[in-house]
Amino acid sequence: MHKSIVINHICRVEGHGGITVNIKDGKVTEVNMDIFEGSRFFEPLVVGRAYDEVAPILMRICAICSAAHTVASLMAVENAFDITVSPQTRLLRELLVHGGNIESHSLHLFCLAVPDFMNYPSAIALASDHPQKVKMGLELKKLGNTIQEAIGGRAIHPVNAVIGGFGKVPTGGQLLDLKEQLKKGLEQSLVTVDLVSGLQVPDFCISPNVFAALSFNGSAYSLFGDRIALSTNDTRDANRYKEICRESVVTHSHAKHSRFNDKPFAVGALARMALNGEKLSGKAKKAKEKLGLSSYSDNMLYNNAAQAVELVYSIERSMEIIDELLAAGIKQEKSIDVRAKAGIGTGAVEAPRGTLYHSYSFDEKGRLAEADVITPTAQNLANIEKDLRVSVENLIDRPKESLAPKLEMVVRAYDPCISCAVHLVEVNFL
Amino acid sequence: MAKPTVGIYGLTGCAGDQLVILNCEDELLDIAGALDIKFFPMAMSGNDEECPLDIVFVEGTVVQLEDKQTLKKLRERAKLLVAIGTCAVWGGLPAMKNEISRQELKMQVYGPTGEAFKTITPQPVSSFVKVDLAISGCPIEKEQLLHAVASLLHGDLPRLPTYAVCTECKMSEYPCLLVEAGQLCLGPLTVAGCKARCPSYGQPCRGCRGPVEEANAASEAKVLKEKGFTWLDIQNRLRTFAAPADSLKIESVEECTNA
Repeated sequence: MHKSIVINHICRVEGHGGITVNIKDGKVTEVNMDIFEGSRFFEPLVVGRAYDEVAPILMRICAICSAAHTVASLMAVENAFDITVSPQTRLLRELLVHGGNIESHSLHLFCLAVPDFMNYPSAIALASDHPQKVKMGLELKKLGNTIQEAIGGRAIHPVNAVIGGFGKVPTGGQLLDLKEQLKKGLEQSLVTVDLVSGLQVPDFCISPNVFAALSFNGSAYSLFGDRIALSTNDTRDANRYKEICRESVVTHSHAKHSRFNDKPFAVGALARMALNGEKLSGKAKKAKEKLGLSSYSDNMLYNNAAQAVELVYSIERSMEIIDELLAAGIKQEKSIDVRAKAGIGTGAVEAPRGTLYHSYSFDEKGRLAEADVITPTAQNLANIEKDLRVSVENLIDRPKESLAPKLEMVVRAYDPCISCAVHLVEVNFL
Repeated sequence: MAKPTVGIYGLTGCAGDQLVILNCEDELLDIAGALDIKFFPMAMSGNDEECPLDIVFVEGTVVQLEDKQTLKKLRERAKLLVAIGTCAVWGGLPAMKNEISRQELKMQVYGPTGEAFKTITPQPVSSFVKVDLAISGCPIEKEQLLHAVASLLHGDLPRLPTYAVCTECKMSEYPCLLVEAGQLCLGPLTVAGCKARCPSYGQPCRGCRGPVEEANAASEAKVLKEKGFTWLDIQNRLRTFAAPADSLKIESVEECTNA
């Protein structure tokens, strides 16, 4: 029997994608994660721009990850010009990235993924039966946005984070107010962990995964790091990211694919848990134990559980950062004198969906000569196709109608950000 | 009165304007209660792909044939089409260098394999269909969106500002970044509605909301030239978020010298 499953538009993901699966004589012959999102050609369009225009343009690759894009972009520019930022700036940027992580994970868990596990078409439908759950999710999401507004000046596409530091630093009073909101958020994040621990995680998507994440040269879990660590025990300096992400162009996708040693790999919350999870402390550590994320997971559907743990982590870490900022005495710092020169710089940060790289070269006048941006979703695409294939093979005897939603669930577990990668699932029963 | 049927869709873009809708955390469940949302693929499954719509909100730029076809179909389905965000209203960042052929860009980014991709010159929604209401911003401001939804529920169109960010900035008494600090600030040319967000952080307006009516770009360029900015830097800044807008096009240095 020949068949194909074609999902033209995966819903509840950010951007436009689909899935095509072709099956012949009971065997899967082809699995494509189709990316239909149009090409915006950010990298060539930004060439020739002055160094201070690069972050405001390239942060707009993606709305949900705009805080991470901003920070990675600024780091790349600063590395190219040998600019070192103050400890206060580093802490404020970390807080901004945590704001983005809290917002993004809450949005994904409550609005996009959890309805899958509870068999609802949307958070709005879920809200009619479980209003308190959705309301709590929205409050957590708002907490992430409140942080991004306070530090970045806007919830989407921050305006206040600039080369060398911040336009205006928050006041001590603002930080104390944020901390109060974070205390309430911490309680809500623990309720979220309870909620996620009660969800049945299906087992149709199990296959070995290679994970990659930034590795922080310290004893604590972090969304930053100068080294890339892989679950194969390989490591690289972050500025040698191209050795990990060997990109190739495929005709069914406007997003390039990444492979390491010719094998797909995964980035994101589950990858970070696998590689750095032992470094978690406090309530996040307990949450990780409660959700059974103790070892390398071969089931990407656990990514949602990893996001729940990171929700707790990002809230706890945000409170620590605020304490550190207040203890040092938050103050408006003098803006940095930028001396533009020819140079190359790379910035890497763990965005909500995984490792994000921005790498630039500038000419002697500080105009951008070349930009390379590798997003987490682009790195995950090959691994998504691997998991889709495994899932179809496990579910091949099921009726077509029940297969497509399962495949969409796999895609959604990765929390793909297709705008970022440059949308959906189609299984063809030929 | 029956709830209006609503569609929300993103053409090519960052999904930031749809995210602003989802970012109305305090109002979202009320909005969902007041509207009958039939089509919102980013946020829900089980979308009605065919039903007539009272209002459709469209974000993003038209950069490929599929975008154009989807947009035309949405227009046919909807009584009112609201363009949300600077990409939909002005073309946004993808339209910043439309003089470069897409063919050339495809080769640069994808190499020969890119031949298969059907890209077209990026254009705003109004290049293809009638737009009943345009809310610009990169992203749109939440307050303007909520104001628009409230007005539409009452059968009105909202009144949006027709003055410049510069006016909002002066009303807030922020120090002038253009005249006093000598920065490349586009406040005089950019339509208000953000409460001068960037200047409030000491940052120059980059024009992310698109031009105000009757923007005098030549006059601003003259001021910027006198401040020592190069022609290239001025042109680059003018041609970032709304390059297809006629009011932001200055063809020659002479034009701004005579302004």
